[in-house]
Amino acid sequence: MTVSTVPLEEVPRPPRADLAPPRRLRVSGSEDVRAATLANGMRVIVWPVRNIPNIALYNWVRAGSRNEAPGATGLAHFFEHMMFNGTSRHPPGEFDRLMEAEGGANNAFTSDDVTVYQDWFPAGALERVLDLESDRVAHLAFTPEVIESERGVVASERRLRVEDNSHGLLAEQVQATAFVAHPYRFPTIGWPADIRSWRLEDLQAFYRTYYAPNNLTLALAGDLDPQGAIALVRRFFEPIPAQAPPPPVRTVEPEQLCERRVLVRRRAQTPLLQCAYKAPAAADSRAPAVSLLLGALVEGDASRLHRILVEDRRLAIEVGGHWQEGFDPGLLWLSLVLPEGVDAEEAREALDAELAAVVADGITEAELERARNLATVGLWKKLASIDGKAQLLGEYEVFHGDWSRLFDAPARIAEVTADGLRTVAAEILDVRRRTLGVLIPSEEARGAPAAAPPASVGP
Amino acid sequence: MTVRVPQHERLSLGNGVALILVPRRDVPLVAFNAVLRGGGLADPGSRPGVASIVAGLLEKGAGERNAYAFADVVEGVGGSFGAGAGPEAITVRGQFLARDQQLMLELLADALLRPLLDGGELEELADRHIELIKAAKDSDPSELIGTYGRAFLFEDHPYGRPVFGSEASLAAIDRDDVLRYYEGQFGAERLILVLAGDIDADLLARMAADSFSRWPATAAPPPALARPRARGGRRVQLIDFPGSAQTYFWVGSVGVDKRYPRRAALDLVNTLFGGRFTSLLNSELRIKSGLSYGARSSFARGSVPGEFSLRSFAQTENTGRALELALRTLDRLRCDGVSREMLESARAYTLGQYPLGLETAADWAAVLAEIELYGLGKAYIDEYPAQLAAVGVAEAQAVIEEAFPAADSVAIVAIGDAARIEGALSEYGPVSRMSLTDPEFSLPWASGDGFRP
Repeated sequence: MTVSTVPLEEVPRPPRADLAPPRRLRVSGSEDVRAATLANGMRVIVWPVRNIPNIALYNWVRAGSRNEAPGATGLAHFFEHMMFNGTSRHPPGEFDRLMEAEGGANNAFTSDDVTVYQDWFPAGALERVLDLESDRVAHLAFTPEVIESERGVVASERRLRVEDNSHGLLAEQVQATAFVAHPYRFPTIGWPADIRSWRLEDLQAFYRTYYAPNNLTLALAGDLDPQGAIALVRRFFEPIPAQAPPPPVRTVEPEQLCERRVLVRRRAQTPLLQCAYKAPAAADSRAPAVSLLLGALVEGDASRLHRILVEDRRLAIEVGGHWQEGFDPGLLWLSLVLPEGVDAEEAREALDAELAAVVADGITEAELERARNLATVGLWKKLASIDGKAQLLGEYEVFHGDWSRLFDAPARIAEVTADGLRTVAAEILDVRRRTLGVLIPSEEARGAPAAAPPASVGP
Repeated sequence: MTVRVPQHERLSLGNGVALILVPRRDVPLVAFNAVLRGGGLADPGSRPGVASIVAGLLEKGAGERNAYAFADVVEGVGGSFGAGAGPEAITVRGQFLARDQQLMLELLADALLRPLLDGGELEELADRHIELIKAAKDSDPSELIGTYGRAFLFEDHPYGRPVFGSEASLAAIDRDDVLRYYEGQFGAERLILVLAGDIDADLLARMAADSFSRWPATAAPPPALARPRARGGRRVQLIDFPGSAQTYFWVGSVGVDKRYPRRAALDLVNTLFGGRFTSLLNSELRIKSGLSYGARSSFARGSVPGEFSLRSFAQTENTGRALELALRTLDRLRCDGVSREMLESARAYTLGQYPLGLETAADWAAVLAEIELYGLGKAYIDEYPAQLAAVGVAEAQAVIEEAFPAADSVAIVAIGDAARIEGALSEYGPVSRMSLTDPEFSLPWASGDGFRP
């Protein structure tokens, strides 16, 4: 790589620090991370960091739309909403009212695999927050009126993210087409008819099955004393009895036999193209190579697909990608937003030609180095905040089986070779194992139902 | 432990460049924030978006590198580098590994002092920005509602202009606009440069002096910014989005400026009104009624008063009900004020939350640049907790009267299915109507300044 020194000859350049990434990531304070398993099987990981007088908490529940069944899709996400709506000790609304009055804010998200509850609060509120968090795991109550009101909230969220959103509308169709058996085919927000029809019993059964301490991983980072924090977690969570482990998801998605295509017509201005390739699970040994492949293809203006499709050929205005890194083999998405009037077929051909070149020839050493460096900086950016630290600890514990693997991440990134990456590209970027979604703008106003059904499945 | 402005060095180069160095060594990253006064203010009135395009072009070739070479060198070392325009400044920001801090500063100097401003890149960028606006209309119209809202509220005041440009204005921008902007608006006395993180402060200070101390100042200060006039009464702008499942609405008025003396009280009252989950607005529109996924309010504060706005959305058939509820909640705040107990909760919440935005080197780079840009002084951060502690019910009441509008004196913007909601909206004032696919964010003003080509 050439580095220009044009204006600065007189400034001595200090020796560049060793360019090879360290085997273990050295983060200040990382040696103080402590973990414990409570008697009921709950995992706790704490990381003391004293930059600001706050703590970030992530409570990971191993339950997502992967654990749902037809007729009650979206239940895991709806359940996430209901977790804020009252317990036998605190009426609806109290959770947020009490937390905010002590300076805490919260949020939560649900994915195909997990539901994650997040709190950010001043260090002095730790006891209050753990009290509230353990209370809703132990004593959640369901009020029928609140269920009805929350149904309306989720329907509004769905209209925002799917029905009034070209991107969300197409992605939902692609995901539902990519899987024929595995519950990864369900949209996390839920199908509209299911949102309208959940019953109290569904919620109660879901709670009993998944909201058990042995199904939780709690990660805390911030202004705390590790032993004291773990003792507090024990005090609040250890009395909650363990339950039988949730039933495993037995379905294994059968091998995809050929490419699937789904077409959506919607009143819009810009066409969209989405490709979802079958991809490995998070814990797969190929994971670092998959991440770097995605980075090389779509991260940044110098990425392969951005340069070819957006800058050189101007067939797209945006390229993006996402690896759905879950417990089971999922999808690697490549997503293109096309300019108005561009033929989606022409864009697809250009995309396919470039992906075929990557499969045949791999990527260059410079592209690999770029992807590695971007991944490393991405990791450091997350590690700069207590929020990122708590998130990463939980993510590695839940999806990779051990929080300490976080600190092996740079070494695993460094180990990926151009050849190894080409092999993984050839395994994943196989047209026969992808689902192609196209959204074509249409002049007709949309009536109910909100989306056109898939117009073709083939070839 | 409270959060205070970290130890830093502030240097002033002879030509007016303000250089701020903030060492922070928890992770091996360095961040920069370069702020150039002017921004959208200096756009030609008929062509908003020039500042934004100039900002975008800074990384599309500079010094010895064309656009590809520039991206290659930035991303090759894992760095990030991006620029955008705001109403009063262009901001360039990025992060690199500490080992690449010299390279980072070289690239920044190239981008600011020696941008190529290439004609081909200009055309490509403007075209892309036009298509990005269309894509946003297709996939998240609520993202654009603030732009429509400001255009409707501020009319021909610079705060009403779409800083990113509109589809029509972007199509009209040519290289002369770009060169004129660069020549007139880029210069030493406009620049605030903050370097933060795992830096070698002495080395970077010397490098920055070498790079920037010969940069000439601009010929004239940025255009003066008049205080926006508040127009009385209530009016409605309807943006037709046929077939939409819900209506996205925005209610705004002229608020307060960056140096508003009751800022701590303002933050507390807005927290209570629409700034947190249990706020009055979110309680009404989400928690109690289930009408919406969310409702919130905020103040944009600049050198002169920006907008107060509240925003939410609801299913098309509930448009009138949701809007009515939002306006009634605003009236309730004006009539009932806030209680001591509410104020205590908001105070604890604000004190508990504000440190989370003052954590990383990148956070501090942004905050110190803002303090410098508006001349706020470090008391803006260091005395904030004491100011929050001192707010009483009477001051909160004063803020409600000064900064929050009466519900019958607001500009309302709604994006939704006009055929199904125009009737409900017409109860709230005269309705002017445009289409989501129109290439502008506003109808032409009566005064007409050639906004529409």
